[in-house]
Amino acid sequence: MSFREKSAWISFVCLLLLTLGVVLSLHHPHDAQGNDVINPLHLALAIFVGFIVLQAVLHLIVAAQAPKEARTPKDERERFIELRAARIGFYSLVVGEVVAMAAFHAHGRVGMLMWTVLLAILIAWLIKLGSEIVLYRRG
Amino acid sequence: MSSLPIDNNIRRLRFEHGEMTQQALAEQVGVTRQTINAIELGKYSPSLEVAFRIAAAFSAPLEHVFQYRKPGEKQ
Repeated sequence: MSFREKSAWISFVCLLLLTLGVVLSLHHPHDAQGNDVINPLHLALAIFVGFIVLQAVLHLIVAAQAPKEARTPKDERERFIELRAARIGFYSLVVGEVVAMAAFHAHGRVGMLMWTVLLAILIAWLIKLGSEIVLYRRG
Repeated sequence: MSSLPIDNNIRRLRFEHGEMTQQALAEQVGVTRQTINAIELGKYSPSLEVAFRIAAAFSAPLEHVFQYRKPGEKQ
């Protein structure tokens, strides 16, 4: 497996964990009075910092195993794969944003709009990375 | 089996050049080994520039390395 494919896998898994973290943070615990046990902002920051640190550490480990390959700039096939995956991700984002707008139109809650837009971005990003992995696997 | 209408002789040319490895060819051409493998298997069609660089690596004319297969023509 090439360094770029490993990198796509690392980003995919880390982003999947981030997305799960975001979904779980929507259901963070409340006390008997309905107040937040954990500050949602602190929780979001912790998840985001964890995502960046985990990605950086895993990339450093993989780059240390193949330093020459990691330093090599992307070639035309790798750039082509990235562009194709970005196009698939873009259309996924458009669909996600339309769903978010429809949900806002139906429920009219701004908070819900914010979360659906955020989830649409994360899912589109996951689809982009998943497409990259599939395209690398195909050759 | 090639899925593109372009055949190539890269495997044979590598053999004729002292069993040149895909990695060695990739380094000469300036692409990754995976890209050379994809071109060799007919899964990826390279740009004209990379095609010329591959031909130059074998000191062969382009048409000796790559051949266009017309629609309906067998491999």
